[in-house]
Amino acid sequence: MDSTLPRITADTALYAEVLDWIHTEAELLDDLREREWLETMVSRDVTYAVPLRQTVERARGRGFSPDTYHLLETYGSLDSRVTRNETPYAWAEDPPSRIRHFVTNVRARRTDAPDVIAVKSNLLLHRTRQDQSVPQLLSAERHDELRREDGRLMLLRRDVLLDLTVIRTHNLAIFF
Amino acid sequence: MTSHTDSSAKLLNAVTEGAEKGVIPASIFGDPDLYRQELRNVFGRCWVFLAHESEIPAKGDYVLRKIGEDHFIVVRDDEGEINVLFDACRHRGVQVCRSDSGNTSHFRCPYHGWTYNTKGNLVGAPLWRNAFGGMSKEGNGLASAAKVASYQGLVFGTLDESAPPLKEYLGGMAWYLDLVFGLNEHGVEVLGPPQRFVIDANWKSGAENFSGDDYHLGTLHRSVWEIGAFPVPFHENMMGYHIQASPGHSLSFSMAQDADEPGPNYFGFPDELAQSFNTTNISADQLEVARRSRVFVGNVFPNFSMLALPMTEDGSHHPPVGILTLRTWQPHGPGQVEVWNWFAGYKNLTPEQKDRAYRAGLGTFSMGGAFEVDDTEPWITVSRTGSSTAAKLLDFQLNYEMGKPGVGISKPVKEWPGPGRVQWTRYEEGVQRNLYTFYAEMMRSAPGEWPSLAFGEDAADTGEESQA
Ligand code: FES
Ligand SMILES: [Fe+2]
Repeated sequence: MDSTLPRITADTALYAEVLDWIHTEAELLDDLREREWLETMVSRDVTYAVPLRQTVERARGRGFSPDTYHLLETYGSLDSRVTRNETPYAWAEDPPSRIRHFVTNVRARRTDAPDVIAVKSNLLLHRTRQDQSVPQLLSAERHDELRREDGRLMLLRRDVLLDLTVIRTHNLAIFF
Repeated sequence: MTSHTDSSAKLLNAVTEGAEKGVIPASIFGDPDLYRQELRNVFGRCWVFLAHESEIPAKGDYVLRKIGEDHFIVVRDDEGEINVLFDACRHRGVQVCRSDSGNTSHFRCPYHGWTYNTKGNLVGAPLWRNAFGGMSKEGNGLASAAKVASYQGLVFGTLDESAPPLKEYLGGMAWYLDLVFGLNEHGVEVLGPPQRFVIDANWKSGAENFSGDDYHLGTLHRSVWEIGAFPVPFHENMMGYHIQASPGHSLSFSMAQDADEPGPNYFGFPDELAQSFNTTNISADQLEVARRSRVFVGNVFPNFSMLALPMTEDGSHHPPVGILTLRTWQPHGPGQVEVWNWFAGYKNLTPEQKDRAYRAGLGTFSMGGAFEVDDTEPWITVSRTGSSTAAKLLDFQLNYEMGKPGVGISKPVKEWPGPGRVQWTRYEEGVQRNLYTFYAEMMRSAPGEWPSLAFGEDAADTGEESQA
C-alpha cells in the first residue's frame, strides 16, 4: 500500500464501514457461509493471491518471489473452490476444519481511483481439524483493495503475505 | 544387537515376503527405528533429486536443497559445473548458506569468517597466518556429495561413492523420463521456485501414490470430475498402463488405445506446442507413446515424483491444458514429510501458455488445488496407523494385492515398445509392490553393495539396451 496516499483515520464513517466489512467477512468465512461470501462480498474482477516466499538476505527484500504463488485465484476459480466444497466429496474440508480469522491492525487509505480503498490488516488464522488439540496457525499480512460497486464494498484484490516459507498446514483448502 | 534393530529387521523381512504376496506391514509408515535406517540406507545412498538445471542457469546461481534431512548447496561454479556442497563449515560445522536461493561468488561462514568458493574450496579465512600459520587451505573445503549428475535437466546427487552411475540407477525409467522431458530440442524449465509444505505423513505415502495409485481417483478425487477440472471420464482414465520401469522406479499412463481417438494427446499440452515435438532426442516409439498419453505419473526411487496431465482450475472459463509438476517427498521424521512442489513447462511455450499451465497446475496439483487438497487427508492417517501400538501388536498387514495374477482385470502386456514390466489397465498395485521390494533390498544391502538394478528374467529389456 502506497504510504503517500491519504490515510482514512479511525474517527471517520468510512473507516467504520471498512472495519464492519472486515468483521462481516470473517464471520461468513468462520461460519462456512462461503457461497454467501463469494456472492455478496467478492467482485467479479477479483484477484486473490497468496505469493510464494523464500528466505533471502535482507538486501534482497522480503523474499516474495515474483509471479509465483501458493494460491492465485480469479472469481471463476474461487467459484470452483466453493462449488467443490458443496459436493459431498470435498474430503479436505468435510468434516470441516474449525477456522477462526483474527483480524487486527486495520489500516485504510484512499487510492488514485475514487471508488477504491486500500486496506492493510494482520491476519491470524487458527485451524483445528478432527481431534487435533494443537492448532495449525497461519499468520499473514493482508493487502486488500475494496471497490464500491452499486453502493457496497466488494473485494477487488487480496494479497496474503504469509509469515512462513515452509507452510505448516496440510493443505490450503481454506479462505484467508 | 538391540531388540529395536531386531524389530526393524523383522519388518523388512515381512516387506520382502509380503510384497510378493501383496501384503505390507502397516508399521513401515511410522516405525522410528526403520526411519533412522532409511536416512542411512536409502537417502544416504540412492541418487536423490535436488534441482532442475533451469533453477541455476548462470554462474554463481545456487539453491539450498536436501538429501534426507541434510542441507546441501546446489551451485553452478565459474566453469559452469554444478556442485553439491554439504552446508556445513569445515571449522565448526556452521551453516554457510542462509538463503534459499541466490547468486554469489563465495559462501562466508558467519561464525569466524571462513570463506569458500562455488567449488567448495576454502579460499579465505580471517588472520589465517596468525591463527593457523602456514596450514594449507586444501583439505579444508566444504564436503561434496559423492557424485552429482543430471539427466534431462534433472540434477541428482548421491552420498555413496559406490553408487552406480545415474543412468544405470535410473535404468528403464530413463526411457520414460525422455518422453516427458525430451519431446523437443528445447526441453523443460521450471516456472519459479518450489512450494514447500510440512505434512504429518510418512514420505513413502507420496512415493507410492505417484508410483501409480489410480484406484484412489474415483473416491478421493470425485469432486474434481464434479467441477469439470479434468476432461477424461473416470473409467476411461483407468484404462492405460502400469509400468515397473526397473527395480524401485514405477509409473502409470492413462492412454488412448489409438492416438486418433477424440480426447487429449501429449498429456494435454497445447496443440501448437505439440507441433514442435519430434524425434531429435527420442525414438519414434517414445514419441508415439507420449502422443497417446493423457496422464503420466511416476516416481523415481526413493522420493522424486512427477506428473503430467490436462487440468483446469476453472472449467467454465478455461479448457484443460497440459500441466507438468515435479515434487520431492523430503523425509522429516517417521511421521512428517516436507513436500516440495515445482511447476514446469516446455521452454518454447509462449508466455501466455506458460501462464495458463501455471495457473491450471496451481489450481489443481498444489496444496491449495482442487486435486491435491484431498490427498494429504488419507496420508496423515496412514502414518497414524503406522506408528500405532495396535499395528505392531496385531501385526497389522495392509492389502497390496490388486493386479496379481487372477486378482482383477489387469493383465501383463507383452507387446510394448519400452523397458520394464508392463500391465494393462491401471487397476493394479504391482507398481507399489515394486517400490517396496526394492526398498527392502536397499535397506538391507550392506555399505558398498547394491541390489540388482535390473529385473532378473528380463534384464536385457531395461536400461542401456533400450537407449540404443
Ligand atoms: S565455524 Fe565456520 S568459520 Fe568457524
Ligand atoms: Fe491423489
